[in-house]
Amino acid sequence: MATQTETESDTGGVMMRDGAVRRIGEIAAAGFVLAIGGLLVWILATQVNYTLLSSPLIAGRFAEAFFLVIRIVAISSVLSVTFGIMVGLGRISTSPITGRIAKGYVEFFRGTPLLFQLFVIFFGIPRLWATGQFPFENWAVPAAIIGLTLNHAAYVGEAVRGGIDAVPDGQMEAARSLGMSRVMALREVVLPQAWRNALAAIGNDQIILVKDTSLLTVIAVPEIMSVFRNINSNQLDPWTPLVWVCVLYLAITMSMSQLVNGLERRSDWGSDSSMFGRFSLSSSGGSDGGDD
Amino acid sequence: MAAPIMEFEGVDKFFGDQQVLYDIDLSVDEQEVVVVIGPSGSGKSTLLRCANRLETIRDGEIRLDGRSVVDANVNEIRQQIGMVFQSFNLFPHKTALENVALGPRKIKGLSEAAANEQAHELLDRVGLAAETGSYPGALSGGQQQRVAIARALAMEPRVMLFDEVTSALDPELVGEVLDVIEGLAAEGMTMMLVTHEMGFAREVADRIVLMADGRVVERTEVDTFFDRPETERGQQFLSRLL
Repeated sequence: MATQTETESDTGGVMMRDGAVRRIGEIAAAGFVLAIGGLLVWILATQVNYTLLSSPLIAGRFAEAFFLVIRIVAISSVLSVTFGIMVGLGRISTSPITGRIAKGYVEFFRGTPLLFQLFVIFFGIPRLWATGQFPFENWAVPAAIIGLTLNHAAYVGEAVRGGIDAVPDGQMEAARSLGMSRVMALREVVLPQAWRNALAAIGNDQIILVKDTSLLTVIAVPEIMSVFRNINSNQLDPWTPLVWVCVLYLAITMSMSQLVNGLERRSDWGSDSSMFGRFSLSSSGGSDGGDD
Repeated sequence: MAAPIMEFEGVDKFFGDQQVLYDIDLSVDEQEVVVVIGPSGSGKSTLLRCANRLETIRDGEIRLDGRSVVDANVNEIRQQIGMVFQSFNLFPHKTALENVALGPRKIKGLSEAAANEQAHELLDRVGLAAETGSYPGALSGGQQQRVAIARALAMEPRVMLFDEVTSALDPELVGEVLDVIEGLAAEGMTMMLVTHEMGFAREVADRIVLMADGRVVERTEVDTFFDRPETERGQQFLSRLL
């Protein structure tokens, strides 16, 4: 009984109740929304030039940049995930040479700024040819795709390696004990599970890739930020083009996270409901049959 | 009885500098059930893992049907040695049926239809005909372990190894797994089991092998062992269980 009273007075004095903590969180969150939301409404009401915002000229230029960014993202995404999976497999290779090369690759491309890598590719590479001999006339977009791919393959590679590491050793042992080779066990048993483990991290990285396209403005790719800089310096009006920029990036990143969520749901092999399991069985059955 | 299927001869196993198996001699005859018991850390599980080369041995020889396991193609020899683990290790992204059918399909090259038919039969045999479409996450531990047994049987092995297969189960689920193993014994499957279930060991075993500190200290007919163990270690081990 004595301890009971002691504890009660202790908690009353030092610690707050859960309900009180929650209330403080609610007040803080509401306050934050009010402050930011108020500022935003004020900016939209006083700073944005709606005639300019909806003018076909500005809309057309942003649309052009937007579709260019989508093309760059689509290609770099596919390439960086593909190449990243190879890097991740290299990291777990039983060959020490492959393992070290993959590690070195990751260290370099994760350890230097993307901007530096873009400069190397955009400014440096063409200089390896004699003047006028470099075969690419418009090198900016290919350089951008190469830079984004090489850089993000390093992050995807680490995500894949992490996903593989998170698969229990018993999975490999069970597959090998049936008589599978290491490669077959990886393909049939370990990698499908590693893929699910890595999906969230890969999706995260791909969203960063979308935002990294904003750096391409410095290597003369006519992407979204470069349109902003143009309009801002001509009209001396930052807020109007910034609304465009914000909406366009969010449009890409939010569809991207929808896509990742969909992929995650699809690779969720019903832990609690066998109904769900049967559904995804039929969808995975088709792709399984393909590699025989 | 028949010729030995699995033989261990002078097996030494090290983890780094530490020796964990000393000069193990042991043989398992056709249709024989050998149960390996002993205190934890005595090397029982390591011995089983050496038998299908999940562990490599430093000295000695292990033979299956007279053929060296150590020198054989590892993927080929493992097809003839079924292994069931303490932690089931079912493939969580595949249904019970797919778990069982995967090996025959991918390794033996059976058609999907043939592999699925065989998997259905095996799951029926372990009492899980109703759960073929379930994922491991939706099955109880006892059900998962029975799927794991069916998965190992699907490769039609010469010998089955069971590594403490009931140790991770809730007590009320142990019985259903032991029933399946007893059924296999009755059908004449050659088996080597590591277990802590002494009642079960007594029921299913033909021979008991007692290990301690990496050595085989006693190997006797099952009734002899439980009634009047030959060695002092055997007496000690039994007296601690009572």
